Amino acid sequence: MIELFDVTKRFGSETAVDGISLRVEKGEFCALVGTSGCGKSTTLRMINRLIEHSEGEIHLEGQPVRSFNEESLRRRIGYAIQNTGLFPHWTVARNIGLVPRLLKWPKARILDRVEELMGLLGLPVEEFSRKYPHQLSGGQAQRVGVARALAADPDILLMDEPFGALDPITRETLQGELRDLQARLHKTIVFVTHDMDEALALADRLVVMHQGRIVQQGRPIDLLRNPVDDFVESLLGGMDRGLKEAALTRVSERMMSFGPRLLASERVSYDASLSQALSVMLWHRVDRLTVVDDEDIPIGELSLRRLLGARSS
Amino acid sequence: MTIIPRRSNRVLLCLMLAGVLSWLMLDAVSMAPNRIVPGTPHRAHEVMGWWLSLLSLLPMLAIAALAWRPDTGRLRVALGLLVLLLAAMPLWLAAAVSALADPSMPQARLGIGPALWVLLFLWLLGVIELRTRLGLSRPMGWLLLVPVLLGWWLALSRWLEPLALYREYQGRSDQFISAVGHHLALVGAAVGASLVVGVSLALAMRRFPGLRRAGFGVLNFIQTIPSLALFGLLLAPLAWLAGRFDWLASLGVSGIGWAPAWLALVGYSLLPMVRNTYVALEEVDPAVIESARGMGMSRRQAFLQVRLPLALPVMLEGVRITTVQAIGLTAVAALIGAGGLGTFIFQGLGQAAMDLVLLGALPIIALALVADALLGALTERLRHGGAS
Repeated sequence: MIELFDVTKRFGSETAVDGISLRVEKGEFCALVGTSGCGKSTTLRMINRLIEHSEGEIHLEGQPVRSFNEESLRRRIGYAIQNTGLFPHWTVARNIGLVPRLLKWPKARILDRVEELMGLLGLPVEEFSRKYPHQLSGGQAQRVGVARALAADPDILLMDEPFGALDPITRETLQGELRDLQARLHKTIVFVTHDMDEALALADRLVVMHQGRIVQQGRPIDLLRNPVDDFVESLLGGMDRGLKEAALTRVSERMMSFGPRLLASERVSYDASLSQALSVMLWHRVDRLTVVDDEDIPIGELSLRRLLGARSS
Repeated sequence: MTIIPRRSNRVLLCLMLAGVLSWLMLDAVSMAPNRIVPGTPHRAHEVMGWWLSLLSLLPMLAIAALAWRPDTGRLRVALGLLVLLLAAMPLWLAAAVSALADPSMPQARLGIGPALWVLLFLWLLGVIELRTRLGLSRPMGWLLLVPVLLGWWLALSRWLEPLALYREYQGRSDQFISAVGHHLALVGAAVGASLVVGVSLALAMRRFPGLRRAGFGVLNFIQTIPSLALFGLLLAPLAWLAGRFDWLASLGVSGIGWAPAWLALVGYSLLPMVRNTYVALEEVDPAVIESARGMGMSRRQAFLQVRLPLALPVMLEGVRITTVQAIGLTAVAALIGAGGLGTFIFQGLGQAAMDLVLLGALPIIALALVADALLGALTERLRHGGAS
């Protein structure tokens, strides 16, 4: 659990973070969103004391962060950043094993852990463990970065735009993998991004920051429905909000059992989002889709009316 | 396998053409009855007759032909021919000795003429060009030198006694060995000291940014003083110090000799050393350092395990520049009695004995090349697998 009480950070006369309070529950995925310079990265770095806060209190599991030794605090917190920050002169395996080595784990345990993590992140050990970072693609490097952050099995993970420098396809793949990983590991994650779609896709809780303050926080769906002001509304996509909301709901939640009519010719996966289903309808100019499972076997149908009308459910 | 475009290699063609011209038109050797009388120059055909001298052009023409429509195989053959030519040069000199020798002049000396110097230069360029084209590794490049050195060693040990350069060496072989040792010791001491001082200075500059401007200002200023002037400037204060403190004098410090030379060398070495160290440390990707700190490395760990190893190749580049520069500068230091190979150069200049000058200059060039290659190889090794 991470708690911020009225935390302020000043750089000289500039106030980067202005009296924010925030509570991230254990196992919660919290996304800090905002335009650049809004203080979201600063907030993140104050948690692991890469930046010292000027006022207020930051607590980790109920204890003030300043009561910990700087280095041992950081070794307890996973940290992943945009350009991976991998050490170019170390192999992949050595990079991943960094924090366990700092914690003086026995060699065999480090080795096991590194291999376990490489398996977890889809990096075949024989192929990658001896490679150097410059021999990796952007997506592979970022996987190594995440593995390194997870190495000592920290409860808390801080991620500063980890997928910011990746191409859209790799980015989406890695977002999916992170979501799956989180479903299994239940880490407490603070995730900084300026990409609202990324935040909506990943976070349990959105924290929107603007000019050093928190403007609004809550469940993604609540923010979409009730933005407090024009800024949050525009950040959430303005007129696209309907589609973003639809992107948060799966087809499986809205599908019906088969009606009396023939099966619709166009199909959509039960795992697709409503916005994707709507896109299929728009594309084929139809108002009814057959919902199929992973094996492409029809399991139900989705009508346009159902897609739209169930909004209140 | 390297892919080579099927276009004529113009570099090689031009080199070989120039080689043919210099062989035909420049003096190949000169023969002098003794050390004092200037030698009589001889062209190649005067030594071995027109037929043979034209015949000996064949390898170069063959290389030119191979370079006309090059592929990997042909370029390999060309490289082999070039190495053979380089190895054959001393043997040809031996042949020239026996052709021109006059039993009535036991003191006769054979000077190497411009044609051979030019050829040596052109052929080495050719080897470098082919090495790059064929993408040969560094060790392979060194291996190519073996037959060449073998050729020279063979010729020098048996037939080339009248070679003027060799005569000069024989007259002072002990002196020569100790001069090389002295030269290297002075360079080593200067580079070692400037490494310690330079790295400390660079670290201090990083710690106290205010020091940076002043530090680089002073070092830049030292670099602009001509070397002779700097030696001169150090003369008076060092003589004074030695007169004032007996222990300094007993160490051998005086206005002339190794002390001012060493100080000046260190002075010149500091700028490249400090600049490279500073830039190398400063240019390490801040994201890498931030992640090192963010992962929980202490400042010391982040410096020793991340910043320093990443900076090392560029720092070594500084050592390389410094070493090569110091090897050259030490030659001038002979003027203030610091010893070293420069002694022969200035003696030779004083006696108008060009071969004595060469006896000093050639080893200096060789030392500089070897130091450059060794440190370059070391840098490459450190870079290998590391930062791209």
